[in-house]
Amino acid sequence: MKILIIEDEKSLSDSIASYLKAQDYICETATNFNTAIEKTELYDYDCILLDITLPGGSGLTILKELRANNKMDAVLIISAKNSIDDKVAGLMLGADDYLAKPFHLSELNARIAAIIRRKQFGGNSTIHFNNISIDTQAKTATVNKLDLDLTKKEFDLLLYFVSNKGRVISKNAIAEHLWGDEMGGNLDFIYTHVKNLRKKLQDAGEADYIKSVYGMGYKFTDQ
Amino acid sequence: MKLLTKYNRVNILATIIVFMIGGLCYYFMLHFILVKQLDRDLKVEEQEIADYIKANKSLPDSTNYGDQKISFEQTDLPAARKINSVDILNATEGEYITSRQLVFPISISGKNYKVSVSKSQQETEDLIKLIVTLTLSMLVLLLLILFIINRFVLNKLWHPFNNTLTALKHFNINSQSAIRVETSTITEFNELNDAVTTMSNRVLNDYEALKNFTENASHEIQTPLAVVNSKLELLMQSENFSEAQMNDIEIMHDEVRRLSKLNQSLLLLTKIDNQQFIETREVDIAAIINKHLTNYEELIAAKQIMLTKSIDATSEVLMNETLAVVLLSNLITNAIKHNFEQGSIEIILHKKKLTIKNTGTALNCIPDALFERFKKNNPESESLGLGLSFVKKICEQYGFSISYNFSSGIHSISIQFT
Repeated sequence: MKILIIEDEKSLSDSIASYLKAQDYICETATNFNTAIEKTELYDYDCILLDITLPGGSGLTILKELRANNKMDAVLIISAKNSIDDKVAGLMLGADDYLAKPFHLSELNARIAAIIRRKQFGGNSTIHFNNISIDTQAKTATVNKLDLDLTKKEFDLLLYFVSNKGRVISKNAIAEHLWGDEMGGNLDFIYTHVKNLRKKLQDAGEADYIKSVYGMGYKFTDQ
Repeated sequence: MKLLTKYNRVNILATIIVFMIGGLCYYFMLHFILVKQLDRDLKVEEQEIADYIKANKSLPDSTNYGDQKISFEQTDLPAARKINSVDILNATEGEYITSRQLVFPISISGKNYKVSVSKSQQETEDLIKLIVTLTLSMLVLLLLILFIINRFVLNKLWHPFNNTLTALKHFNINSQSAIRVETSTITEFNELNDAVTTMSNRVLNDYEALKNFTENASHEIQTPLAVVNSKLELLMQSENFSEAQMNDIEIMHDEVRRLSKLNQSLLLLTKIDNQQFIETREVDIAAIINKHLTNYEELIAAKQIMLTKSIDATSEVLMNETLAVVLLSNLITNAIKHNFEQGSIEIILHKKKLTIKNTGTALNCIPDALFERFKKNNPESESLGLGLSFVKKICEQYGFSISYNFSSGIHSISIQFT
């Protein structure tokens, strides 16, 4: 999977690339408008991460060019301008998602995975992790073909864990992923949800994949 | 008081006073001149009588015409000479007539006589009456003309001013368009219009600059925060840290999130203050409430909170949708966050009045303080203390009334959407 990161802040772009490479993505970067235009014209990407304010021009112009040339690369806008106008404009121009800075890398990763699933498999895709199968369209999960009875948030949590498998995810990132900004900082319930999910997976015969990482959060791993 | 009314009052008062004083002066002057004329006539009469007596050595006949009367009376001592106005009974008409009378002594062959010559002042009075009538009619006519001028001419003269005023009243800083005014033929109004146009342009430019500044400042702050945040998250993936170090990384990570959220919240408050959320439409309040409750239903269940709701299906309120979401999500998350385990939440939406009641600890501060920025009941709480100031700001912008009370362990907050 090839990803183009269009972002003028090099250290941020490096962080993103570093996180995504560990998820087996191939990452390229562009730090200004002209390089970005060049790369998008020459190559096809599975997903383009697009900052709106760039030296040399607006990210929205790149998006317009892209769609005008009938290129259907998935586009995820990452902008520091958390303004509704930019968001609406971006989505109207054919962006697939919008994420405001600063974001959690785990959230970015999960969004990229979701966009690629939507674009390439028409949403009709099943993700596997050992014996666990997750049907992202029907929003159901099975272990050894046996249905797991998960609540909506538990399903979201499982999908988030599997998307970021092997990575440490902070409790804050989980809280914001599940309930949005307003409930951020309210971390007590994460524990309850994780505990329930862990129990349901173990009851279905799976090993305990959810490891607590002291002081930080959780890691979903079979190692 | 309108400028015209005030001006008219002064104008009419001055006109009346001037006419009164003018009328009085006129009256006295005419009176003086006419009386002087009469006196001269009387003196001519005196001379004629003296001449007659000199020639004939006897008194002339007493006469009594309509307006002139001469009478003689014998006295012991010579009478004093005097001239004055008296009321004399007119025998033919049977009424008193103001007359000018000259009394003088005369002696014929050692006998003293007092001669009275009088002339009626009737004509003088008539003349004065005529003058007063004329003055009054002039006054009425002048007032009438003033009224007409004010009514039609002045209104027309002030028309450009009123236009400018209307344009000023309708000036909306968010509409991005400067005030347009017609040029007038009057210098003062043109100066006013120029000033208004210049001012509106400057206001628009300043406002635009301020908006850009807030957006840019937020952008500039978010970018380094995003970098720090991402670096910390990468650090987390490393497995070579001690527990204490990992703990420190998590604390830094949390604080960076807090800082970024604070920044976003302040930007949102500024945007609400600047009334940048102007697009309004009929927003379905009930739908937003239900959506949020669904989002948090597992949180509510985890806390074993009893939720009861009675929500009118159709509660559409004309407002900005983003603001409606901010308003409602703040109220709902507050009711969940500041609740007890096994507490309760009651949500009532009836006739566009939303009441949210929830169990919770009593306030340590006065309720009004909760609506201020950065005020929170529990200083150790993780929250920023901005939620209720959003609620207050949004309610203020739309004129929704908001009330809060706490009794027997229940916090109750009500908003009347209008």
